[in-house]
Amino acid sequence: MPPMWRVLTSYAIPLLGVALVTWITSAMLAQWGLASAALLFLLPVLLGAARGGLGPGLLAALAGAGAYNFFLLPPYFSFHVHGPDHAVSVLVLVLVALVTSRLATRLRAREEEANARAAISEELAQISRLLAKGAPVEALERARAYVAGIYGPVRIDGSQDGFSSLDQAAFAWAMHNGDATGHGTGVMAAAEWTFLPLSPKGRGSHALMALARPADGHTRPMVQIEHMQQVALVLGQGCDRIALEEERRARETLAESDRLRRTFLASLAHDFRTPLTVITGQLETLATRSPEAGEALNAARRLERTMSDLIAAARIEEGSLRPQAESLDLIDAADAAFGAVVVPAGLSLGHVIPADLPFVRADAVLLHHVLINLIDNALGHAASRVMLGAALRDGQVALWVEDDGPGVPPDQRARIFERFARIEGGDRAQGSGLGLAIVRGFAEAMGMQVSIEDSPLGGARFILRMGA
Amino acid sequence: MNRVLVVDDEPAILRLLGAVLARGGYEAAGAATASAALAALRGGGLSAAILDLGLPDRDGLELIPLLRAAHVPVIVLSAREDVGEKVAALDLGASDYITKPFDGEELLARLRVALRQSGHPSGAAAQEVLAYGPLRIDTARHEASIDGRGLTLPPKEFALLQALVEAGGRILTHAALLEKVWGRAHVGDVEYLRVAIRALRLKVEEDPAHPRLIRNEPGIGYRLMEG
Repeated sequence: MPPMWRVLTSYAIPLLGVALVTWITSAMLAQWGLASAALLFLLPVLLGAARGGLGPGLLAALAGAGAYNFFLLPPYFSFHVHGPDHAVSVLVLVLVALVTSRLATRLRAREEEANARAAISEELAQISRLLAKGAPVEALERARAYVAGIYGPVRIDGSQDGFSSLDQAAFAWAMHNGDATGHGTGVMAAAEWTFLPLSPKGRGSHALMALARPADGHTRPMVQIEHMQQVALVLGQGCDRIALEEERRARETLAESDRLRRTFLASLAHDFRTPLTVITGQLETLATRSPEAGEALNAARRLERTMSDLIAAARIEEGSLRPQAESLDLIDAADAAFGAVVVPAGLSLGHVIPADLPFVRADAVLLHHVLINLIDNALGHAASRVMLGAALRDGQVALWVEDDGPGVPPDQRARIFERFARIEGGDRAQGSGLGLAIVRGFAEAMGMQVSIEDSPLGGARFILRMGA
Repeated sequence: MNRVLVVDDEPAILRLLGAVLARGGYEAAGAATASAALAALRGGGLSAAILDLGLPDRDGLELIPLLRAAHVPVIVLSAREDVGEKVAALDLGASDYITKPFDGEELLARLRVALRQSGHPSGAAAQEVLAYGPLRIDTARHEASIDGRGLTLPPKEFALLQALVEAGGRILTHAALLEKVWGRAHVGDVEYLRVAIRALRLKVEEDPAHPRLIRNEPGIGYRLMEG
């Protein structure tokens, strides 16, 4: 129904009511009496005020009072009022119109508010359902369309493009403080846009909902801003949940591929060790009779070392090392490492570890490999001796392996820990070129630092620093 | 002649171990599966078993308690670096482990140790006087000595030494030692063990910085060694 027509009918219906009451009461006046007739005039006033509000109510009151006066009160067909009792009836009709219309208006306003709130709840429920289904893009689109449909231009994103400097300031404020900011709010009200954060202060997403100033130039009422803030928070929660879910899925995928890589490396180690066991085992038997078999045995052992090094390097590369730190006595660590290396003829290997050295926290197996590699490297370069030592330095335990070989020139100390690095010049070590890279990779995985100094023995001193 | 059961699904390894064992004067009985191993166990007459844990039909770890129940000492053969697997095998009762590729002489040496231990009456703990190498322990009188020289040991150190001597050269895992000496609640407190071992070495080792008697296997445990 067009509004004009609605306004007309809201005035016309009470007037018709007045006419009807006038007609009935004038016909029945003799039987009912004047008091009852006057009461009946309340009906069109109530009707007009309840349906149309103050205007139609007052019109009905005045029309009713006039008609009552004109047709029912003597002198008939005159507006002349005789006594105060008749003035009272006019006053009562006007008051009834006033009170009823106010009540009705308030009631209607409340009903409209309830309807609006129901509509918002319904909309929020729809948006939440989209978010729950994991459709954040659709949810954002729906929220944008919904808000735009009611309140005009809206943006939902984290970008400040196209905003004036004041709007950008309001944007930043809303983002930083988690408050509604800008037009229609208490903060930077001169801004063209109203900025509503998608999450409370300090949490979640970095997006805002921005509403343009109403096109009619009015100030946006607080009620609308509150409604929109509700939409914004639901959206924010939904988006946060989805972000969390995506993060969890990414972590799971990572853990799964990590597990696969580790399984692969473990089975690779297993797969080459079994045939190598057969090769070295059979060569061992043959070597007792044939020097050629002895050479082959040595080659097979070198191959085993190289394969182990390659797998260790791959584990470092893949980042799949998971050190298990435990309390260790370096005397045990040195003893075990000495038991695992072969000292070539003409060289000596020893250690000086103080008996009161604090225990360290390290992964026993990784540290074992670090020491074996350092000792092997030193044996490969030493002239006559390799020494292992340890001391407490500045609250840290320093563990070193040193030799009396040619040492490492200062300009090569940084690159010597790189894979396949070799010192330029005489090098009789026959390793894989991975030993020191493995030392550094394993040490760093355990939170230790490796460095090189000149040894008092004349060669290189490789130092590991670790927490006591 | 001692019969040694060899369980490995790789025929080449079975043949190799057969040759190594023959060199050491043992007779090898090969089994490629867990069920074949169990059949051999039921047949009886086994002095020891060398067991690869990766078997096609069953987890090799499950065989250890069965072999132990038949008083057959077990040496685990492992191709993995994984310490956890070795610790699990030892805690289930394996006497020792050896990692592929292994040295034949080393394997024979370990086998001799394992056989010697099983030669001890199985209830070693029930004996009052225990000995290992230069060490003697009188559990009833709470006395310990090395090379006839009396040792003054606080209760925890005595208990630790007793556990090591009872094991007779077999590796005891860190967790097993902690449980035996400090109780189940302390199986994770390796630091207790380090402190006690260091104190014990001061008393029993000639040079505590170069221990020859109480030896550590990185990440696994302690054992006594002769010589």
